[in-house]
Amino acid sequence: MVVKTEVCTFSGSRIYPGHGITYVRLDNKAFKFVSAKVKCYFQHRWNPRKLAWTQMYRRLHKKGTLEETQKKRTRKIVKGANKAVVGASLDIIKQKRNQKPEVRAAAREAALREVKERNRAKQAAKKTAPKPSGGKPMDKPMGKQPKAPKGGGKGGMRR
Amino acid sequence: MVQVQTYLNVADNSGAKTILCIRILGSSRKIAKTGDVIIGVVKTAIPNMNVKRSDVVRAVVVRTKKVIQRPDGLAVRFDDN
Repeated sequence: MVVKTEVCTFSGSRIYPGHGITYVRLDNKAFKFVSAKVKCYFQHRWNPRKLAWTQMYRRLHKKGTLEETQKKRTRKIVKGANKAVVGASLDIIKQKRNQKPEVRAAAREAALREVKERNRAKQAAKKTAPKPSGGKPMDKPMGKQPKAPKGGGKGGMRR
Repeated sequence: MVQVQTYLNVADNSGAKTILCIRILGSSRKIAKTGDVIIGVVKTAIPNMNVKRSDVVRAVVVRTKKVIQRPDGLAVRFDDN
């Protein structure tokens, strides 16, 4: 049969049923003591962190095996997207992910150059046209991007 | 261990602050523990409430400085009566 044990608030040891005292202070804080010795120390306002036989002291001074005290922390490994998205199938995503940085840089530069050319052409067109009524009909820019898209532009993921 | 002439702090909002125990109910008992009913006289009270000073009232003991032993072995001690 498993017995529920309490933990002593002063020494950190287990309190089995039938032992110890629970002391409820006027501010409704409850303290559990495993023995009269511990109760006496508490009443005389000793700091458990200064008594070498208490758990608090041992934890503070890192006594005992570290394996017990240290908890294993499992870090979440964030994997890349493994699902296909509406605009790009899984193959395209993998392709983009595995692109070498040089290829990406080259693609980025190409896109930048393209945008610059487009802007230059637009400027030239504006200058040559004398008046908006008499001049060439100017097309509205069709959803052009002000910045070059990264990674050479993911197919279909443009916003 | 509450007995006659013991001052007790009142835990509810009836208006009384302290009462003096004058009798313990139950056949000729000398000591009252937690859960016992006592008769007391209100010694200090908040003004303009139901209960006034020098009213004779019944009260239940809820906290004692003396240790309360429970059948499962738990012992509890409070800071006031």
